Amino acid sequence: MAVAQSTRRRAIILLVLTSIILITLDLQNSSATSGLRSVFGVIFRPVESTMRVVTRPISNAWFGIFNYNDVLDENERLREKVAQQEGATVAAAASVRLAQELLALNGLPTLAGINAVTAQVIGDSPTNFSQTIEINQGSESGIRVGMPVLNAAGLVGKITKVYGDRSVVMLITDPDFALSIKVVNSPRQTTTTTIAKGNAAVPSPVVPIEPDASLEGDASTTTTTTTTTTIAGFTPSVTTLPATPSGVSSITVPLASDLAIRETGVIEGRGPSRQPTVRFISNAVRFGDIQAGVPIVTAGGSRSLSPPDILVGTVSRVVERLGSAGPVLEIEPVADLTNLSFLRVLLYQPITEKATP
Amino acid sequence: MIRFLTIMSSRWTRLVLVMLIVLSLQTTLFAELRPFGVAAQVVLLFVIVSGSINGVAIGSITGLIAGLMYDFILPTPVGLASLAMGLAGATAGLLLYFFHEPTWWMRLITVAIVSILGEIYFPLAQAIVGFDGWLQPRIFKVAIVVAACNLILAPLAIVVCRWTLAERKLSI
Repeated sequence: MAVAQSTRRRAIILLVLTSIILITLDLQNSSATSGLRSVFGVIFRPVESTMRVVTRPISNAWFGIFNYNDVLDENERLREKVAQQEGATVAAAASVRLAQELLALNGLPTLAGINAVTAQVIGDSPTNFSQTIEINQGSESGIRVGMPVLNAAGLVGKITKVYGDRSVVMLITDPDFALSIKVVNSPRQTTTTTIAKGNAAVPSPVVPIEPDASLEGDASTTTTTTTTTTIAGFTPSVTTLPATPSGVSSITVPLASDLAIRETGVIEGRGPSRQPTVRFISNAVRFGDIQAGVPIVTAGGSRSLSPPDILVGTVSRVVERLGSAGPVLEIEPVADLTNLSFLRVLLYQPITEKATP
Repeated sequence: MIRFLTIMSSRWTRLVLVMLIVLSLQTTLFAELRPFGVAAQVVLLFVIVSGSINGVAIGSITGLIAGLMYDFILPTPVGLASLAMGLAGATAGLLLYFFHEPTWWMRLITVAIVSILGEIYFPLAQAIVGFDGWLQPRIFKVAIVVAACNLILAPLAIVVCRWTLAERKLSI
């Protein structure tokens, strides 16, 4: 009896020490622990696949009992939404295409130029303390750790573990998720003024001026012509044409104050019950007040794991902080993270991550 | 050969094989069925039941082994669930320390209380190694739902656990 107790005590000490050593190794990104994971995966996956087949009728019955009415309601709501959005989709698709053409013409990166792999969600996280899902594509499809994962609405998360035929995606609500983003604030309301030398202090509303009109008065008077183009769903841009004598080519100068202002920050997840937040936003006066509904897109850049301009969400609440610390923004993700089925993994790696030959 | 058969017929080998099935149930059925948005923790249930039946030593060894297997499929650092489950198994084993012959309802109360504690141990362990962010008021809801699910599943788990961890002599 005493021998058995001593053996058990030794076993407990050995297992505790093993756990502590494994934690230390894994936190150092040791290849030994990832090797152990892979070996265990090889043994465990067939058992899991069999169990998935066996338990499928049980989960179907469960969902049939508890979710039937919700699915009916959702179906009705979605039909209505689809009908509303059908018209807008055509205009949006044309606008997106136009934007991509413009970006390509200017040699700027676009999402259209990045290959993607479509994957299906095959499992949720088994624990309550990690916001991950499993997809049915892995390293065999070219997926690597860190690649961004999207659905039709926007960014969903990033790849954190890759196996041969499956990968683990960390959702943007996971407290360990962080990504650099841009807050695209709406331009402030400004009034363009026509200033004459003789009466500079008197502002006047914007009035399109005939090209010849400026030449009729005092020769030193400065006038501007403002053309505003409004497209549904887009921030109007302003082109200012300085009045010039005919025969002289003009230069197009956008009004800086009327362009959409972007400020970078970092989005961080806070668990399933709380919305992700954006921190490190500058408190600059130029950036203006951030209103709810302002879109949040990925920042991109040589060190970011994601290409620029993937929609992440919209600002749902602005928490002002004292002093020079910028506000903290609460974000409503555009993707419905509770109901994911098909996803797109962008085969994108920043230059800093690419292995040198 | 006899040594190999002895090892294969030991309760620890049986535990590993049964844990593979329990773990596969955890990652498939119980990861999908989420009452109130919370996944029931059958691996934790198995560990707690083994502790409440066999005492602190067996409970903690079962917890450490089951947790280590769970670690290999979780995205958290390997060894974290092992320590948390080992602690949960040892906590459940304290029941036998205080009551030598506990009644069925004492065992069920133990399952409920240690389920709550065990579900808090894991985010605590995560916070200790720097993965903070999970210690939120939500863990109380999670712990209560997990305890309720474990109470419902406990009778079945007790039967399976008794069979798995029973000591049998190899007769050749």
